[in-house]
Amino acid sequence: MIRLTGLRGCVRSYLRVSGEILISLGVIVLGFMAYMYWGTAVRTGDAQHGFEAELGQQWRSGSDLAVLTNPGDLGLGRPFALMRIPRLGRSWEFAVVQGTGLPQLALGPGHVPGTALPGQLGNFAVAGHRVTAGNPFWSLPDLRAGDLVYVETIAGTYEYRIVAKPALVSADDTAMLAPVPGHPGQRARQRLITLITCDPPWTGTNRVIVTGALVATLPRGQGIEG
Amino acid sequence: MYGWIWQRLPGGTGARIAQMTILALGAALLLWFVVYPWASIYLPFDQSGLG
Repeated sequence: MIRLTGLRGCVRSYLRVSGEILISLGVIVLGFMAYMYWGTAVRTGDAQHGFEAELGQQWRSGSDLAVLTNPGDLGLGRPFALMRIPRLGRSWEFAVVQGTGLPQLALGPGHVPGTALPGQLGNFAVAGHRVTAGNPFWSLPDLRAGDLVYVETIAGTYEYRIVAKPALVSADDTAMLAPVPGHPGQRARQRLITLITCDPPWTGTNRVIVTGALVATLPRGQGIEG
Repeated sequence: MYGWIWQRLPGGTGARIAQMTILALGAALLLWFVVYPWASIYLPFDQSGLG
């Protein structure tokens, strides 16, 4: 290595070191994005495995039948339903937990507290991460009218059909969560489902919202095949 | 920075490459299992949360 002395050498080594630091920071940030996409999925996958086993056990024993008629009893971060959306993939299945704070969404898609429960009159609203936590709603904008969403609880499997293509709303627009989406204050007339995630990915700027209506109530365990 | 580390590693070129690889691997593991999980809680990416 040629050793330069004086001002030129100083400037050169300064540039080299700052260049190395900047490239390293770039690699660290890229690594962080990779962690958010793949790494957090491992953590969520562990939680989801536990939830599915837990729900299976609860449903077999029938101990928590009361929970589903009384949303207030659902603890934050507790699972109560399994969701399947064939359009998002044959193996796409997530346990839905109660609550939509970041600690709950880290476990899986979350039911918006205060909105209807699966199969009930009103709007069953579920929010999920676009990126991180297994990226459950990464492809939510791909849903189209006619696609099916299955929500299985202890009481049965609810089959919802998406009624329109995904809508883009601002992050603070909560009218879509109302019993009649877009019309807060009106009385519920239909049994609806609303799925919510972030758009563009990696940001919290907007929300992508998909709404569906209940078309059938099936015995538990059905509606798995896409 | 990396040149500075390189010069302070003992051994020949092969040994130094091996040591640099181990250092890089260690840094990557530290980031993946300690720094990133910590940062993912505090950095405002994908705030899908409602309220």
